[in-house]
Amino acid sequence: MRYEIRIEGHLSETLANAFPELEHVVMSGQTVLFGTVIDEAHLYGLLTRCQSLGLRVMEMRQLPE
Amino acid sequence: MRGVGTADGAARRSADASTDPLGDPYLRTRFALPSRPATFLRRQRLVVHLNQALRTPLTLVNGSAGAGKTLLTADWAAGLRLPVAWLTVEAGDHRPGVFWAYVFESLRMCGARAADAAAAPADSSGVGRGLLTSLAAELNALDRPVVLVLDEYDRMTNPEVAEQLEFVLHHSGQGLHLVLVTRTEPLLPLHRYRAADELTEIRGAELSFTPQEAGALLRLHGLHLPEPATSALVDRTRGWAAGLRLSALAAREDTDPERYLKEFEADHSTVADFLLAEVLKGRTEETQDLLLRVSVLDRFCPDLADSLTLRTDAEPLLAGLHRENAFIERLGHSWYRLHPLFREILRAHLRERLPGAEAELHLRAARWLRRSGFLPETLAHGVAGGDFDLAAGALVDDLAIGQLFTGLRSDALTQLFAGMGSEAGSPASDLVRAAGALARRDLDHGLGRLRRAQEQLSGTEVSPGLVAARLSCTLLEALAARLTGCPPRAEQAAATAEELSQDLPDHLLDAHPELTALLLTHVGSARLWEGRFDDARAVLTRAAGAPGGSATVLPRVESMGHLALLDYLNGWLGRAERRALAAVSEADRAGLPRPPGAGLGRLVLAAVAVDRQELSRARALLDETARLPAREHDPVPTAGRALAVSRLLLDDGETHAAAEAAEPAVSVVVASPWAESHAAVVRSAACLADGRPDEAVRLLHGVCGDQPVCAVEAAGLQVAAGRPRAAAELLGAVRAEGRTGPAVSVGAALVRARMEQESGDTVTARRLVARALLDARRERLRRPFLQAGDWIEPLLATAPLRGLAEGWLLSGRPGAHGEPVRPGAEPAPLVPVELSGRERDVLRRLARMMSTEEIAADLFVSVNTVKTHLKSVYRKLAVNRRGDAVRRARDLDLL
Repeated sequence: MRYEIRIEGHLSETLANAFPELEHVVMSGQTVLFGTVIDEAHLYGLLTRCQSLGLRVMEMRQLPE
Repeated sequence: MRGVGTADGAARRSADASTDPLGDPYLRTRFALPSRPATFLRRQRLVVHLNQALRTPLTLVNGSAGAGKTLLTADWAAGLRLPVAWLTVEAGDHRPGVFWAYVFESLRMCGARAADAAAAPADSSGVGRGLLTSLAAELNALDRPVVLVLDEYDRMTNPEVAEQLEFVLHHSGQGLHLVLVTRTEPLLPLHRYRAADELTEIRGAELSFTPQEAGALLRLHGLHLPEPATSALVDRTRGWAAGLRLSALAAREDTDPERYLKEFEADHSTVADFLLAEVLKGRTEETQDLLLRVSVLDRFCPDLADSLTLRTDAEPLLAGLHRENAFIERLGHSWYRLHPLFREILRAHLRERLPGAEAELHLRAARWLRRSGFLPETLAHGVAGGDFDLAAGALVDDLAIGQLFTGLRSDALTQLFAGMGSEAGSPASDLVRAAGALARRDLDHGLGRLRRAQEQLSGTEVSPGLVAARLSCTLLEALAARLTGCPPRAEQAAATAEELSQDLPDHLLDAHPELTALLLTHVGSARLWEGRFDDARAVLTRAAGAPGGSATVLPRVESMGHLALLDYLNGWLGRAERRALAAVSEADRAGLPRPPGAGLGRLVLAAVAVDRQELSRARALLDETARLPAREHDPVPTAGRALAVSRLLLDDGETHAAAEAAEPAVSVVVASPWAESHAAVVRSAACLADGRPDEAVRLLHGVCGDQPVCAVEAAGLQVAAGRPRAAAELLGAVRAEGRTGPAVSVGAALVRARMEQESGDTVTARRLVARALLDARRERLRRPFLQAGDWIEPLLATAPLRGLAEGWLLSGRPGAHGEPVRPGAEPAPLVPVELSGRERDVLRRLARMMSTEEIAADLFVSVNTVKTHLKSVYRKLAVNRRGDAVRRARDLDLL
């Protein structure tokens, strides 16, 4: 399954590297991380990673295949 | 530096001085209330709100990373007049046994529990209800309540622990105030606490800084901003504590702080990411390097930090960083930790700035920790650095290999080494692999690895450094000998161990009592298998009395179970029962989730119950052990189980099944005399019952004369098969040593009585039966009489014998004509018994061998309520003991 996670603010390259399995793009005050998520555990892991890095998740949704 | 931080032997010494159940000074920093930095701003509105925690059982401080939860709670807790137990939860705590061991320790350290309070968890994978019940009762009885703070509770992901916390909280009454500091909502039924007004809640919005508070905080950092600028900053950071602190630090370094902050407001970067990079940029090269490198560590002291940077400047740098509250918190004893939020971000920077350095940093840390005697952390970092040989070497050199089998760390260690690949080729690595395989009873792999390790070890020259590895080897040898039923191999291992331990410093062996206790248990088990009862007793008694608390619970319980079996095999029912009960209750007290040693204690209790003809009880006990994981390839318990099961089936009249169950399903190198003899007796009795006396007699050739209990039973079968002379021969060969108990004397007297009776000497027969009755009464040994056959009935019906048998063997009811009555088959009460739903609930739990306290906890009622129900159950069933109540209820189909 593919997901995208919208994060508030522009993420630095350094911190974007903390999500090596996802691609990212910076746009209008947000950073969008997107890519393939293996399973639910991975999904929750990504959320926890955002939290532990002090990132504010604005939106998270599944993308059509 | 004092105490925990030193790299020399001081750490080890201070560990010995304390009663820390986990034996680790490193851990003490987890119980430390974090100190507040000089720039900490106390916010009165939050303190006032938090004070309500003293009126509610549960308090939740909930907010994102860097919201200031920990410092707020620590500051509040430091000002309390109540004892405060503080525990910082870590990812490794998700096993209930480990988590509760830390909770117990934190309660002990703040004085809420007596230092000598006995009960503490001893198995990492689980905690028995009994242990939590007694903790709750203890807390409930406190004069002053204790405040338990669990910081970073979001790391606790195990729902079982949440349930257990809920249980303890519920039953601790006014004795416990639980404060959870967490990023995520815990899995507790918060709505229920909320509805009952039993919850104090501080959430993210409330933790946010108001513009006034932000202004005060910035002033503490030496920044004086006009009110609109402060408000704008609060908007930009959403009042986030970490964001405000970082912006203050970053702005302070700029020549024009106000302008700097304006630019930051207009910028769109993520707050912490951007600000941390900014603040980092302002530090010296050395400081940046230090911060990046220590981000691989949970906690560190200057010396450990130096070992990562290969410099010697950590002490002043860390002191300086802590003073300005940039990134680190002080835990006391010169130990620090990075703020969790910054640590994560710093790790991202580390990966970018020093790519590939992480593994090497882990290994440097592992080597420092190993030198300083911090074993668990050495292992964690060694494995994180990918060097399993280092980790395995540390474990083996420390003589800690026994921890793979017993104690709180066993699960975590097993999991840690589960990822070991084939590249780890040292003898220590093979020993760890062998231990893991033997622990899960995978004999093929275990024996193979062990052989490989031995070959490698014997190929090297004898050196003092290898003593620990060789001693570890003997432990595994003894276990292998026990599991394969090979007593000579066990003796060889014991002798080698004895020799090797001469060459080891005492303190190393003293620090690991589990090693010796396990070794003695395995050797004892092998000797018991071989039938060398006295030699087995000698080592098993030592193991059963081993020091070491939770570290040695497993071998202690196992050896007590073996001793119980030994007593049973010698014919001492009462002694066997007492020992087996002691083993079972020791396991319960330690909160072991499943009985060790395949439940040998319960198997012995079942065998005793069969001899007492309490067949329902025997059945219940055997059912309990049958539910244990069927992975045990362990001769002694397997034979114990075969013995109890086959005798029970025999008495149930299932002769065919009894004969089949008699043979223990385990492959062994050397046969066991008692296991074979018991199997032969049961199969012979089954044949006789099926009307095949010749085959029965033939089967008795397999009975060993050294086994008095079996020999006496064989003699009984010979008489029954019409061969009194063979019986007399067998009896003559039974040595009347002091070690045999009533089961032997009773059996022998009855065999003689039958021979006298059949040859017409009723007077002698009666005298012998009277003696047997007297001996058996104390032990409630009923089987020899009730399974003896018809010949004994007329004897028991006569006056003096009847008096001796009444009350325990025969019912005392007038007009029963001396007919033997099985206990439990008493005449049905005249009035039909009707139990209330609650009484039935209590009775069902009683049948599961739960104590009154456990039943109370389980049913959420008081102990007195349970006692009331019990009394009325007893009255309705016309009994006055719990065992009788359960039996009677089973017979009446009430259960």
